[in-house]
Amino acid sequence: MMKRFDRREFLKASAVGGVVAVGAGMPSPWMRALAEGSKGDDRILVVIQMSGGNDGLNTVVPYRDEAYRKARPQLGIAADQVLKINDQLGFHPSLRGVAKLLESGRFSIVQGVGYERPNRSHFESMDIWHTCQRKEGRVGEGWLGRWIASTGSGDSADSLGLHLGREQQPLAMVARGVQVPSIASVDQFRLKGTQGGDGGSADGSGSAVMPAAAASKTGDDPLLDFLESSTEVAVAASARLDAALRSAPAGVGGGGEFPATGLGEKLGVVSRLIRAGLSTRVYYVTLDGFDTHAQQPAAHAALLRQWSDAVAAFVESLGEAGQRERVLVMTFSEFGRRVAENASQGTDHGAAAPVFFCGPSLAQGVIGNLPSLTDLDDGDLKHAIDFRQLYATVIERWFGVPSQEILGAKYEPIGLLG
Amino acid sequence: MTTIEHGMTLDQIDPEVAWSAWEPSAAEPWDDRRAAMLYRRAGFGASGATLRDAVSRPVVEVIDGFFEATESEAAAIEAFESESELIASAVRSGGDVARLSTWWLHRMVNTPRPLVEKMTLFWHGHFATGGEKVRDIEMMYRQNVMLRESALGDFRKLVHGVAKDPAMLIYLDSATNRKAHANENFARELMELFCLGEGHYTEADVQELARCFTGWEIRRRQFRFNPYQHDEGVKRLLGGEVRSGEEAIDRVLDQPQVPRFIARKAFRFFVCDEPEAPDALIEPLAQRFVADGLKIGGMMRMLIGSRLAMSDWSLGRKVRSPIEMAIGLMRACEATTDLNRLSESLASIGQALFFPPNVKGWDGGRAWINSSTLVGRANLIHDLVHDPKVRFGGKGFAEWLSGDGVDGGAGLVDRMTKLYLAVPLSQEQRQRLLGDGPAKNLADVMGRLATLPQFHVA
Repeated sequence: MMKRFDRREFLKASAVGGVVAVGAGMPSPWMRALAEGSKGDDRILVVIQMSGGNDGLNTVVPYRDEAYRKARPQLGIAADQVLKINDQLGFHPSLRGVAKLLESGRFSIVQGVGYERPNRSHFESMDIWHTCQRKEGRVGEGWLGRWIASTGSGDSADSLGLHLGREQQPLAMVARGVQVPSIASVDQFRLKGTQGGDGGSADGSGSAVMPAAAASKTGDDPLLDFLESSTEVAVAASARLDAALRSAPAGVGGGGEFPATGLGEKLGVVSRLIRAGLSTRVYYVTLDGFDTHAQQPAAHAALLRQWSDAVAAFVESLGEAGQRERVLVMTFSEFGRRVAENASQGTDHGAAAPVFFCGPSLAQGVIGNLPSLTDLDDGDLKHAIDFRQLYATVIERWFGVPSQEILGAKYEPIGLLG
Repeated sequence: MTTIEHGMTLDQIDPEVAWSAWEPSAAEPWDDRRAAMLYRRAGFGASGATLRDAVSRPVVEVIDGFFEATESEAAAIEAFESESELIASAVRSGGDVARLSTWWLHRMVNTPRPLVEKMTLFWHGHFATGGEKVRDIEMMYRQNVMLRESALGDFRKLVHGVAKDPAMLIYLDSATNRKAHANENFARELMELFCLGEGHYTEADVQELARCFTGWEIRRRQFRFNPYQHDEGVKRLLGGEVRSGEEAIDRVLDQPQVPRFIARKAFRFFVCDEPEAPDALIEPLAQRFVADGLKIGGMMRMLIGSRLAMSDWSLGRKVRSPIEMAIGLMRACEATTDLNRLSESLASIGQALFFPPNVKGWDGGRAWINSSTLVGRANLIHDLVHDPKVRFGGKGFAEWLSGDGVDGGAGLVDRMTKLYLAVPLSQEQRQRLLGDGPAKNLADVMGRLATLPQFHVA
C-alpha cells in the first residue's frame, strides 16, 4: 500500500510549524496537487556521489591479477580478504551490504567507466561528469537539471529534484528555469519569527514574512531575481518536507534503524520522503573523503562501509513499504585512482573506475570488463564505457524518454536495465 | 569623459576607465552610502559614526587608510592586538580548532585594520586548509598568522611560506611525500588552485613537480627538509629544468598566468561575483601586479579605489558571504554577541572558519545560497536582534535605535538602507514589510528584512 500525501495532514502541519499562511501566495498548482494527491508511481533515481575520487581497484578487487599485486604491494587487498564476486573479482571486505544485494540480484557493477582525455582535477572532472561537457562550450547546466527542465513538474507542487546535504548544490541538478531545493538538515529547516513558527511574532504580522514569495519580481537584476526565486523555493520546500516527514516514520521498517552516519541519515530522509509520497523523482546525496593520497586503508574501508551499509538499509526500508521496484540508485565518483600506489600508503588521481547501480530488473552482476592493468594511459586505467552511455541508459530505459537532447549528443545505452 | 553606466556588461566597460581612480561627482557623491560600500568592500562594514567621519575627509585619504595605518591609530591598534592576543591564548590552550574561529571573528568585528582581515580571509579561502584533517590548533593558528603577515605583502613569499607551512603539509599530504613514489596532491593544487588555474599545466608537470617536494616533512610541528627522502634528479617543469622545491615554486610563479589568475580572483572576491570578467578587463590589474614584483598591495589599492569598484555600477554585484552578512550587520549596528554561538551559526549556513569545504575553498557567489542557507540566514538575524544578551552600542536593539532618532519601522528601513543595503527596497516590498499599521516591533521588522533578497547582496 502506498502512503499518499494527505491534504488534512498538510493543513495540520502547516498550522503547527508551517511558514506560509494558507492562501497567501501559495502557488495554485500546489493547491491542486494537495486536492488530488500526488502520483506515487513514477520511477525515482537516487544519485550518490563519492567525492574525491574513489579507488575503484580497491572497491572491486581483481584479486587474482598479478599486475594488481605488483602495483599495490602495500595497499593490495589479499585474495582471502575479499568478498568474492566471481573467480576474478571480489568486493572490498567492508562491502557486506552491497555484496548481499548483488547476491539477491539487485546490484550491478559497470566496469571501466570514464571518458576521453581524462582530466585529473577533482573540480574539472566533477564538472565534466555533471554537465557532460568539457570546459570549452560548457553552459552551466547539468544533465539532471536538463532532464528536470524537459520533464516539468506538471501539476505537482513538489520539485522534481532534491539535493540533501551541506555542500553546495551539485551542478548536475542545475538548469535554466529550474530551482532545485538544497536541504542541509531537515531539523533546522524552519523559519523563525513566522506565524505559528518558533519564536512567534509579537505583533502578529507573521504572514508578511518572506514577502518576496508573493511580491512581483524585483526587476532586471539577475542576482536579486535568483535570490527571490530561491526564497520562494525555500518556503515551499520547507512546508512540504515538514509535512511529508510527519507522515512517514523513521527507520527501515521491522524495527530496524538507518546507520547513524552522514550518508545513512541522508538516505533515511530520502526513504521517508519517498514513502510519504513526495513526487520528487531525483534525489542527490554525496559522500566526501575519497581523496586518499595518504594512509588510505583505514579511511577507504570506513567510507566504503558507510556507503554499503546505508545503501543496504535504504533498499530494505523501501522493500518494507512496497516502494522498492520504483527506485534506482546510481553511485559514481569523478575518477578512479592511479593503479600504482604512492609511497604515502595512498593513491593519486586516476581515470576510469566502476559505477554502481542498485535497483529492480538490472542486468545483475558485473557488466563490462575490468580494463587492463598493464596497458595504461599515463599510469591510469583506460575507460571502455563512456559515463554518458550510462546517463543515456538511465534517461531512456529508466525514465523512458529520449536522451539525445538532454545529453547534447547521441550516446548508446548499455544493456543494464531490462 | 567616458562613464560606467549602471546597465553596462563587463565587456562594455573600458578597462582603462575601469581602473582609473574614482573621484566624487554630482552624480556619484562621496556620501554615507558610498562610504558604506567602500567599508563593505575593503572591510566588513562600518557604523554610522565611522561613515560620518569618513565622508568628512577626502576619499583618497580614507582609502589610503585601509592600506597604511596612521600614527594616530597606533594606540588603538596596540590595544586591539593585546586584547586579541588574550583571546588567542585562551582559545589555543583549549585545543579545539573550531574555537579558533571565535578569535578570528573577534578580530573581524573589532579590528582597526579591516582590509588586513578581509585579505586574510581571501587568502584563507585561496590556500584553503581544513582543521578536520590537520587537527592541530597551533598549526592552524600559525598558518593564519602567516597569511595575515603577508596579506597585502609579497605573493612570492606567501606561496613559499604556504609550501612549507605545517598545516598545509598535512592537509595536502606533502608531509608523507617520499622519493620512492612521489605523492601528487600538493603539487597538483599548487598549480591548479594556488597559482595557475586548471588547464595551464600538464599531467607531466604535476608528476615532475611532485618529485621536487619529496622529502619536505614535518618534525616537531616544524617544516624540515629530509635529504634522504628527496629526489635529487633534474625535473622538467613548465618548459624548464629545476631540482629543488624552492626552484620549482619560483618557476611556477614566473608564469605569466599567475598575476592574471590572482587578479581575476581578487576582482571576483572584492567587486563582482558574475559573470566571469573578460581577460582585457583583468589585464591592467595583472600588469600592475607584475610591475610590483608580485607585491599585492599596489594591485589591491588600484582595485579598491577604482572607478569600477566605487561606482554605482558595482552596487549589489556580490552575494554576501555568511561572515560578511553577520559581521557586517554587527559592525553597522555596533553589536556585541556570543562569538562562539555566532561561529556555530555561521558554520551551519556554510562558512566555518578554518574548515573550508575543500581545498578549493568557498566558491562564493550564488553557491552561498540554497533553501537551507536562506532559512538559516534569516534565523541567524532573527536570533541576533531578539536575543536580549546581544547589545547594540551597549543597549537593547530598540533602545539603540531610538537613541539614534529611529522609533518606527520606516525609520529602521531608512537607517539600514544607508548603513547596510546596497540596493534599496522597492515600494511594494517596503509596504509589505511595514504593513499599514503604526510602529511595529522593530526587532521583528529587522528579522523580516533578512528574508528579502536585497539583504543578501553587497
